[in-house]
Amino acid sequence: MGIMTGALSVRRFRVVGDLPEGFRDRFREGLQENAFKEPLTDIGKEETEGWVLTQNLLDMDFTDFTRWLFEPSYMLFALRVDKKSLPGRLVKAMLQKRCEAWAEERGVQRCPASVRTDLLEDLEYELLKKTLPRVAVTEACWHLDDQFLLLAASSDSVVDRFRKRFFNSFGLRLVPWSPLDWLQDKSSVEMMMNSAPSFLAMETE
Amino acid sequence: MSDANEEGLPTPPHLSSEFYVWLWWESERNSARFELGEPMGQVEVWVDERLVFRRPGDTKVSAVLTGDDASTALESRAALAGGKVVEEIRLRIRRDDREYSVSLKGAAVAIQRAKLPPSGTDADESPLYDRMFHYEELEKVVAALFTVFAKARQDNNWESETLPKMKSWSQGGLAAG
Repeated sequence: MGIMTGALSVRRFRVVGDLPEGFRDRFREGLQENAFKEPLTDIGKEETEGWVLTQNLLDMDFTDFTRWLFEPSYMLFALRVDKKSLPGRLVKAMLQKRCEAWAEERGVQRCPASVRTDLLEDLEYELLKKTLPRVAVTEACWHLDDQFLLLAASSDSVVDRFRKRFFNSFGLRLVPWSPLDWLQDKSSVEMMMNSAPSFLAMETE
Repeated sequence: MSDANEEGLPTPPHLSSEFYVWLWWESERNSARFELGEPMGQVEVWVDERLVFRRPGDTKVSAVLTGDDASTALESRAALAGGKVVEEIRLRIRRDDREYSVSLKGAAVAIQRAKLPPSGTDADESPLYDRMFHYEELEKVVAALFTVFAKARQDNNWESETLPKMKSWSQGGLAAG
């Protein structure tokens, strides 16, 4: 699911705050400082996240404006999130075998909990080194003139993560769009906000 | 709107459900023609091949109707008559010679699975400009439709005329009138 290809599924946000002086350079710094960085080790289970170019998720260099700033109005970039995980049932089965081997070697019935923990750590270390991360990329298009942003995300957790990183990178807030934002007349917005359900849709609030 | 609330304007969930039903009813009543005023002008809007229902106050989907005749199937009217509300509606929209297919979903009236007209961009120009032009046109049409709905809903005739007609239609009557 993306902005550039295929059927478009997006959430829309208002960007709250003024564009700073020299925003192109400021935003380039924000993107670069918060760009995706490969983890220092390949054994972590924690998530790694950061901005990447939409052209290729391995491209994290925002030096060239033309790759992410589409003059005069659009900024296109993506959030990449990597996470390594192990298949729980397989790890459990492998651990059981290692515990049995440990006990057999020593002629005892069971291996103690502390040994079991050490064996699990070793096993996870071995497997994580061989495991590729699960990679998620969420594209965003920021309309700089009209100050709205489209995010090709469906999950709330991705949206929350994106909004936090966006604020940290650009100092601007993303506020979810409401259909009431389409109404120009303030009194009309208030009337709709305070309206009771009609019989066709007896909603409980 | 210049609301600075972190989570935006609070949108009562019944508004979107009512908007979807109103769109469905109006498209049948007016043979898919909607006059949206300037600058959007006239557009054609009809219910396409998907309607999703849920029970009021519930977030779980209770019925999904798909296929070419989703909006005319007895089951869809029965769902409405049975008190279910529309959670998602798939529309086909035509403006001038451009045709869009889109699902509007949930209280936020989110644009989902939008099929945009093919890009006419030159090979050396980014397709982004075309994609965004089409997205923005689609959103402006949806915004204008919502504005017409809001006006109708605030009209004095909403309770006395529009709702009874919609109710009669939802129970199997004709949309005309």
